[in-house]
Amino acid sequence: MRILERWLKQYGDFSIDPHELAERLTMLGLEFESVQRLDTRYNGFVVGEVLTKEKHPRADRLSVCTVGTGRETLQVVCGAPNVAPGQKVVVGLVGATVPRNQHDPSGAPFVLSRVAIRGVESSGMICSESELDMGKDSAGIMVLDRDAKPGETLASYFGLDDVAFDLEITPNRPDWLSHMGVAREIAVLTGTLPRLPRVKLKESAEPVGKHLSVTVEEGENCPRFAARMIRGVKIGPSPRWLQNALRNAGLRPRNNIVDITNYVMYECGQPLHAFDHALLRGGRIVVRGAKEGTPFTTLDGKEHTLPAGAVMVCDGEREVSIAGIMGGANSEISDATADIVIEAAYWKPSSIRKTAKLLGISTDASQRFERGADPGGVRYALDRTAGLVMELAGGVLLKGVIDVYPRKIRERTVPLRVARVNHVLGTKLKKPEIVRSLGLIGISESGVKGDTVKFRVPTFRVDVEREIDIIEEVARVYGYDRIESGSGATFSFRQPFPAVSREQTLQEAMAGRGYQEAITNSMQQPKKAAMGGATPVRILNPQNQDMAALRTSLVPGLLETAARNHNAGNLTLRLFEIGHVFRIDDGPAPKLVQNYLEEERLCLLLTGSSAPVHWSSPGRDVDLFDMKGDIEFLLAKFALDKSRFISYSTSKGLTDNTLGIEIQGSYAGYLGGISKEVRGLFGLERPVFVAEIGVEGFRRDIRKAYVPLPRYPKVKRDVAFTVDAGIPAASLEATIRESATELLQSVEVFDVYQGEQLPGGKKSVAFTLEFMSLERTLTDAETEAAVGRVVAGVEKAHGAALRSMR
Amino acid sequence: MHSEITSLREEAENAIRTVTDARGIDEFRVRFLARKGSIAALFDRLKTAAPEDRPALGKMLNELRSAVQQMLDEKSGAIQAPASGEAAPADLSLPGRRGFIGSKHPLTQTLDEIRAIFVSMGFGVADGPEIEDDYHNFEALNFPPDHPARDMQDTFFLGPRALLRTHTSPVQIRVMEEHQPPLRVIMPGKVYRNEAISARSYCMFHQVEGLCVDRGVTFAELKGTLIEFITRYYGAGLKFRFRPTFFPFTEPSADIYISCFICGGKGCRLCKQSGWLEILGCGMVDPNVFRSVGYDPEVYTGYAFGMGIDRIAMLRHGIDDIRLFFDNDIRFLNQFRQ
Ligand SMILES: [Zn+2]
Repeated sequence: MRILERWLKQYGDFSIDPHELAERLTMLGLEFESVQRLDTRYNGFVVGEVLTKEKHPRADRLSVCTVGTGRETLQVVCGAPNVAPGQKVVVGLVGATVPRNQHDPSGAPFVLSRVAIRGVESSGMICSESELDMGKDSAGIMVLDRDAKPGETLASYFGLDDVAFDLEITPNRPDWLSHMGVAREIAVLTGTLPRLPRVKLKESAEPVGKHLSVTVEEGENCPRFAARMIRGVKIGPSPRWLQNALRNAGLRPRNNIVDITNYVMYECGQPLHAFDHALLRGGRIVVRGAKEGTPFTTLDGKEHTLPAGAVMVCDGEREVSIAGIMGGANSEISDATADIVIEAAYWKPSSIRKTAKLLGISTDASQRFERGADPGGVRYALDRTAGLVMELAGGVLLKGVIDVYPRKIRERTVPLRVARVNHVLGTKLKKPEIVRSLGLIGISESGVKGDTVKFRVPTFRVDVEREIDIIEEVARVYGYDRIESGSGATFSFRQPFPAVSREQTLQEAMAGRGYQEAITNSMQQPKKAAMGGATPVRILNPQNQDMAALRTSLVPGLLETAARNHNAGNLTLRLFEIGHVFRIDDGPAPKLVQNYLEEERLCLLLTGSSAPVHWSSPGRDVDLFDMKGDIEFLLAKFALDKSRFISYSTSKGLTDNTLGIEIQGSYAGYLGGISKEVRGLFGLERPVFVAEIGVEGFRRDIRKAYVPLPRYPKVKRDVAFTVDAGIPAASLEATIRESATELLQSVEVFDVYQGEQLPGGKKSVAFTLEFMSLERTLTDAETEAAVGRVVAGVEKAHGAALRSMR
Repeated sequence: MHSEITSLREEAENAIRTVTDARGIDEFRVRFLARKGSIAALFDRLKTAAPEDRPALGKMLNELRSAVQQMLDEKSGAIQAPASGEAAPADLSLPGRRGFIGSKHPLTQTLDEIRAIFVSMGFGVADGPEIEDDYHNFEALNFPPDHPARDMQDTFFLGPRALLRTHTSPVQIRVMEEHQPPLRVIMPGKVYRNEAISARSYCMFHQVEGLCVDRGVTFAELKGTLIEFITRYYGAGLKFRFRPTFFPFTEPSADIYISCFICGGKGCRLCKQSGWLEILGCGMVDPNVFRSVGYDPEVYTGYAFGMGIDRIAMLRHGIDDIRLFFDNDIRFLNQFRQ
């Protein structure tokens, strides 16, 4: 919304510097995008009169003109087809900066210099609307009114001696979508309430009811519908002041009637619509619901199919306007129009919003109605419009107003407890201070009962309904910065939430192990999102197909990250990500929202070297055991001793050589090498290893009881077995644990050998065993017996042969 | 013991064949020759052997030791392993074995700092789902159906009532549904908005939400708490201001600005010439929100606040393109080692 300083001052003068004004209004809740003087961009542009026009001797499309600028006559080469002698045009003088270069894709401004165009000298430029950044028209030059005076500055001609404030309006304050609304806020600074211009109307004897009737069938969605009729108006361009005001506010002047309705809307916030009475069949207006599917052409020439529930303004036979949104082409004001009907109505906000959304239209009118216009301001806006029409377009105003307003929307009365103000704000305000503050924004005291003061709220303040709304107004006008800050008044030590999250502990652990944390987009290509093996959740309104589904696994995101890094030459990667994955699940698992299952996971990715380059060793690339080791590290770090690896395979062939991870007997995740096929999909040439594991499994209940330190030495024995090559080391280890007595403290594989020393199909696996007793020092005999049990057990269970022992 | 000496020699012969690198050499040495190696173990047991056998066994053991030492020396020469252990290399300027250096994502680091401050002020940490229903994301937060306030947050829809949360505020509702006051909690997480991707905005970003509910919580306390946070996080000496604004779920609502730390308030590109940077939104919890979770607004008052972690991280590190966070180029991530 663009507000102009000169326009604002019509409702109450003030002398505050524009930047200071913006600063002080900012502290009242208005948000300023920019504050700018309008004339500074147009230094060096003047009105010129085209005196002569001749064809350029060496270019068909160019003409050579002489242009009078009051003091001098310039020769200018012009490429526009519409330039003609006698026209008043905008001339950019040598040295001026043209705001938009229409031949440059970025439209960057450029400085005019004296040039020769195909051999003909040109001193200046005749400008188009687009070049002046005053409109979109770039096809021809901008032609000014006949009465424009050559030599007059462009700023003066267009009334640019003004300051424009560009505002961002929050949805709760539709009243700020007008100059009057902003002027009312300035009253907080000046102490004087603004006033709208007084309207005096001269009505003819002929009653409006003779030519027009209004029936409202949609009373619920149309609480108020008012209309006036003016006969014999003369349609034409608006006077310059009106055109300038609209243009400076960012609107495009059309004709006097339409311009007036826009002007009044920007003045007081009430959208208006004017119909050509001759096109309203039967002289009737009926407000009713649309029949779903009816085609309708709006006055911008666009065709729409009306949705169910749309409220329409109709004549005796057909729809003539989409209520509160946009008029129809079939009843539009044209040069031939003589009699007009002006509509000013109040529409139910949610109804307008619903229809505007369904149709995909947003207009100045719909934006105001859907946020809430002022039901009490309808009559003023209608009369103000009628007054301006008669002043600027002539005509005779018929007697009376049609105002269908069966249930009057009165000013609200809102009770306020003074104590409550201070209870919420932490202030010590007294009643007079509160009453004074609210008075500055037109909210007045209307009664007192004990500590409770009743306030009357004007109808344009649609956002003030409850006590808390009034409290906010008190805080706002009193000034947030004046409320003294306090602290800790209610400090409580009761705290059901942890101070350190599981994610944090995992992040620390992985960063400590040399992994870098990545954060990737949860929205993915549906194909990639499905790689996790579950049914991905689809986004109904995705930005594009690359982000049309939610990830079911963190792996594809990290693979994309790896590929991007590989392309950048970062070949060694140790990445982790902690994030949510999502899937559709109709099973019994508990869910917070419908059938969407959401789970937090940790994903690891390894590729490239196993260690930074070092002079002491040739180095090697990572393999599956690096990944397995990191998972073992995590499980051990989180003291998840009831965990194990199981054989597993990921769906859709995501990984090869996969191991499942089980914690406390339930599946928690997996690790493996990314299959060649999947690597191909991501353009990854080198081996990549991943692990993905649910964060839920990492519960950290490690407040264990202390175990006394052993008092007796432990005895170490190494045993090596020759077994069939296919027997997993883990099975041998399991057998060792099963066969041993409680004296066995630990088992570790320290060597695996397969080769010329052994018969084909055999391997040797060597274990270090540690034995210890909590009660005494073990004797040789006891140790030998314990080792003997282990050896016998492994020999029996796996057909193993003892290869060595020491 | 005689046979053990013989078999140990055989074992050593086998073992030396499999040694291919410096690490193997080292392991071999530890296994056989070190002070606690297998040969030393046999020497120890010499004491328990019959006195008459000791000289012969001792001789055998000495021979074994020199034979194994010779195997080791030959192998070391063959693979030119750099000396290790007690015999340190002459060139001490050579680099040590460093290992990889990991790091947390800059967004995580930013969140960690913010969280630590609030935790020290008595706040706990809670989280919630990223897929939300319309009720928790909007309705319970006092966004009426068909209200323009919903347009403030472009939403990705997943189903008729399901969506990707557009802010972390629904976690407030979930926390209040589960717990009774007093509450002091922050709620970090990812949020999603259907906004065009550019250097300044991404369709996914991160917020930290805060909530404090108790008897007698005031706007003054909200100011006090957040000023304490700002002073600790951004440093003392910055100017700040609270400006009225609108959020459906708080009233009164405020945006907090700090004076631009790039230009010191004179106006620059970062602060869009205003001299101020917006860093936080906050306000007193709207009574309608309390009603939707069954709290009595006459008994309890509270404040809520929210801030964008990505934006704060960008300001803090002078990052001019938000997409860098999600590209995860390790040359970028490497710059944020702690
Ligand atoms: Zn700045």
